[in-house]
Parts: sequence; C-alpha cells; structure tokens
Amino acid sequence: MTVDDPVGTADRLRAAVAEQIAGALAGAGVPVGDIYVGWGAALEAATCAARYRGRGELGWAFPGWSPPLAGGACGRAALAHHMAQADLAGRPATLPTPLDAIRTWMRALRTAGDASAGGAPPPERSSVGDWICETWEAGDFATLAAVAATAGRWLAGFVRVLGWPLPAQLTLLNAPGPAAVAAPSWRPDKASPVTVACGADARLGRVTRAGGFVLVVHRVTTADDGAIRDRAAFEAAAGALGIGVVPASVLVSGGDTGERVTAPVDHDLLALGADRIAAVVSQRAIATERGFEPADSTPSTSCRHCDHLAECPPGQAWMRLAERWRGGLPVN
Amino acid sequence: MVEALGDVLAGPLHAPSADGIAALRAELDVAARAATVVGGWSEAEPLRLSKHLVTGLLRCPRRALSERGERNPRGQAEGQERTGPCEDRGAGDDVVMGSMVDAAAKLATVSPRQSVTVDAALAFLTALGDTTVADHLADLGPAAARLIADAAARIDRLARSGLAGVDPGWWPRVEDPVRVVLAGGAVTVAGRIDVLLGGPPTGRPGVIVEVKSGRWYDGMRADGHLYALMVALRDGEAPASAVTIVSDGTTNVEPIRPALLQHAAERLDEAIGVAARLAAGEPPAMSPGAHCQHCPVRPDCTVGRGWRLEAAEDRS
Repeated sequence: MTVDDPVGTADRLRAAVAEQIAGALAGAGVPVGDIYVGWGAALEAATCAARYRGRGELGWAFPGWSPPLAGGACGRAALAHHMAQADLAGRPATLPTPLDAIRTWMRALRTAGDASAGGAPPPERSSVGDWICETWEAGDFATLAAVAATAGRWLAGFVRVLGWPLPAQLTLLNAPGPAAVAAPSWRPDKASPVTVACGADARLGRVTRAGGFVLVVHRVTTADDGAIRDRAAFEAAAGALGIGVVPASVLVSGGDTGERVTAPVDHDLLALGADRIAAVVSQRAIATERGFEPADSTPSTSCRHCDHLAECPPGQAWMRLAERWRGGLPVN
Repeated sequence: MVEALGDVLAGPLHAPSADGIAALRAELDVAARAATVVGGWSEAEPLRLSKHLVTGLLRCPRRALSERGERNPRGQAEGQERTGPCEDRGAGDDVVMGSMVDAAAKLATVSPRQSVTVDAALAFLTALGDTTVADHLADLGPAAARLIADAAARIDRLARSGLAGVDPGWWPRVEDPVRVVLAGGAVTVAGRIDVLLGGPPTGRPGVIVEVKSGRWYDGMRADGHLYALMVALRDGEAPASAVTIVSDGTTNVEPIRPALLQHAAERLDEAIGVAARLAAGEPPAMSPGAHCQHCPVRPDCTVGRGWRLEAAEDRS
C-alpha cells in the first residue's frame, strides 16, 4: 500500500523505530557506546549477525578514510564543486571530465582561503576534504592517485547512468559546498548513542509535506551490495527518519550493470527498512554480552574472508562445500 | 599493430550501430535460461562467469575447473578477473608480475605527470588496499631483485604505449566495472576493464584498453571482444575499438564490428552451455593444447602429457 500521508507516516516510523531501539538498548548488559547505523552495518547484521557482533569496537567504528572508502565521498564532492563553480559563474555546468573535476576540487581544497589563488570558490570543509589536504601535505601522491581512480570511477558511473545534463531538480546529498546538502541522519533522541545515516547520493525533487521526492542511490558495483529491495528499504526508512517526510520512491542505479531501478516506497518497504535498522542496534546490544557465536552465523561467500572462520563450524562446513562447488560450478 | 594508443585515438573511430545489441541480449538470455534448467543455478546461487573462466571453459574444461580450486592469490571476489597470463615462473611470481604491470598502467592513466616506476606502482597498489605484491616481494627477500628488474623493464616498455597523457575529454577511467545479468540473475558475467576511454556520455566513441603483462599471443584478443560485448550490453552502445597493450611492447588494435560482437556472444553462449553440463555432473572434457605447459593438473592428465610429448617430437 502506498504512503498517502508522508509526514504522519514518517512521524509514526520515528516513534516505532525509537521504541524498537529503546527496547534493544534496554536489553544490553552494559551501556552501549556510539552506534552508527548505515547500510554497511545493516547489510552485515542481516547477512551474518555473528560476524557483525564479532567485529568489536574497532570494527563497528568508522575505519578512517582510505581510497576505496573515499571514492563516493570524493566523487560527490568533486561533482558538487564542479556544479558550484558553474553556478557561481552564472552558466550551466558543462559535462565534467572525471579526472579534471577531481583534480580541480583537490586543488581548490589546497588553496581554500588563499587570496592569491584567485576566483575559485573554496569548497566547504568536510571530513574527507580534510583527509585529502592531510594526504597532500604528507606528500602521499600514491594515495591521491588511488583516490583519483576510485572517485573517478564513482563520478563517471553516476553521470553515465543518470545521464547528462543530470535530471532536473537533482540535488547531491552528503557532499560539501553550496551545490549539495547534508545527507539525512537521525537520532532517536539527543542522548541516544544511535545515529541512523541515510546513504543516498542525491535527491530528485524538493522536500515538501506532500512528499513526492525521490532518493537516488548509486552503487558502483552491485554484486556484493545485497538485493535492490533491501537497499531501497533501508535508504527509504533512513531517509524518512532523517528528513521527516517519506520519499515517494528510491532510485537505485548500478554502475556495473547500467541499471536504474525505481522502488516505490510503501508501508511494507518502510517496515523492512525499519527492521534492518533495528537489527543493527539489537545485535550491537547483544554484543555487549555475547560477541561472535557460531550458532548465530549465516554462512555465505563472505566466509572466505571472515576473521572468525577458524572458530566457526557452520562456516567451515560451508567452506568444505565451497571447495567442491564454487560460483555455480564444481571444483575438480 | 600501431605504435601507441595516441594513434588510435587520433585516427577515425567508428562504433558499430546499436541496432543489434538488444537482439544479442535477448539471444543470450534465452540461452542462459535454457542452461539454467540444466545447471540448476538460481539468483541466490548463480553461475558467476569472468573473462578468465569463459576462456578456460572453452579452452579446456578440466583445467578451468581445477584452477577454481586454487587459492585465489589476490583475494578477488567471485566473478572478478585475475590478471596476468602464465609465464615460465611459479604462479605467485606470475600473478605478482601481472599486478605490478597492471597497477603501473592504471597509475599512468590517472596520474599522467607522475613517472611510473615499480615503487610507484607498488605504492599505488598498497594505497588501494592490495598488499599482496608488497608482501610477496618481502617474502622473496633478495631474490625479489630479478622480479623487480623484470617488472621495471616491462613498465618502461608500457610507458611508451601512450596510456599517460590521454586527453581528459576521453574520460580515462580505470578498472571500470561491467556486469551482465542473464536469466533473471541465475547467470552473471562480471569483469573490470583495465582502462575505458570515451563511450556514453562523453560523445566520443568507446575504446577498451586491456593491459597484459606477458607476451602477445592471438588468444588475448578474446578478452577485448568479450568486454566489448559486455560494454555494449551495459551502455546500449558498442565501443569502437578494443586495444590490447602488452608489456612486450605489442599494441594490438581491433576495430569492433557487429560480427565480432556476435562472435563474442556465441563464445559466451557456448561457455554457459559447457558450464551447465559440468554443473549437471558431466565429467569435464580435456582439450590439450599449448596451455597444457602451465596446467596445474598436468601431472595427472594423460591427454595433456601426451600432447606435450607429441609437441616435443614435432620440434625435434
């Protein structure tokens, strides 16, 4: 059933998720530290709860920027900077060339506040921008080149799949500068350790009480990202919680497949997303008393790279099967 | 053969018409659905093909299956491609050499002003989270010197290929991911194109660049053909050219024609069919050839051993 009251539904979703989170936290043996609920955590908690719980404090925390992790953030920031420059010059943005756009953004970061730099608008500060500056100052050009590779891949895929000019009324999310807005995030209350973060890359349409806007999620590669419906459900719920209005749909694009799939947001999708969010908090709360437990594992291809494989009989059993059958073929 | 990539980009490039692309996808989808009935795959447990596996299944199914049992030295996910053809070294050295040459080519593409050395390529790989090569060289100790010198020579030859300094308007991007999903997700073909230039939405024709660390042989062309097909299916527009740059100094340029796309689709269709029969329990066929020289199951393969003997007798 479609959502005919986007604001009221978002309010009720907030109340329901807050209640689920409060219940989960109340069951924790000891107070729980900060919990960041993004799609990565939701996917892992849903696919193998034991593995998620076994990550420990370091594993649950933000691991710090690296070229593979920063590809999307730097690609969005570079695209936002490119569009902001055009806007400042009073002209439509031209088709960005990925590597040039990224280098221009990086140079602008370096020269921000430097009067001798001329007319380039300084990009607003961001965590990833600060990391780029630190990397540059450290003379780590290998890392900068690697960022150019991953961010260029994101930017190229995003523009290729969404088309250029970008769709009308598209606003980049989770990027610094005047051409973008912050990504929606939500906390059940000011004292809560839980932050739910929407990972959408862009929004189509303005946010009004009538809803009608679309969240855009771009996946560079799709194979390891879970099902489209699961991703759309999480981002729809996280977006509704953060914005306070339920989106009309979630557009999920794939850089590797070229696909663009629109998932209309209905009550079932929101409920699925809410469950995914609550599951992260629930597993994190359980982890205060029980970390990795093989009985709670869900073996899959992830077992190949799991740090807990040596202590996980179900995972080992799966691997024994995988040694004979891999990627749809027997292994001789 | 031409001297450098720049000659290709400067010359006339004509992408084939997009007319037949939808029909190719439809034909492949029908074939994949039929094979899925035999192979028993599903969206949850699909057949995952890569260019390496497609070639392997067509060349010698027994070897293709045995290689899947080997420990994956670079830790790729299923469906990702392993680079570097076999050389007369151990598998570890071979993969490491492929990784170094591959990384050098990509670094040259994204950072054209930086001189590309073995050290720079290693630092680039490490920055991307791949420490396999650095670890391998450290394990070798002083014995790594020969491997590093060999890599330096190959990277030096690669530097003359024209990958560095490509006009940014070509949108140079490295490891461009491409994935074709057939039969409702029961069959997938995935890969990463070493370097992709042009194509939508640049307004320029697409050019696929594959980098190889070994010596040129004709079989390398098939990878470019398959990627041309996959890009065509992804973008709805076929690339104009597939360029293979080999670290022995060879640059092979292949204009993409509809017949090549059709041929690549037929090879993929056949590989899916072979995979289905294997998945259904049929014993893998053994097809001897030059690949037997580097085959991991050679000691147990009378067919392969026989071929080598005949070949040796022919040479004498």
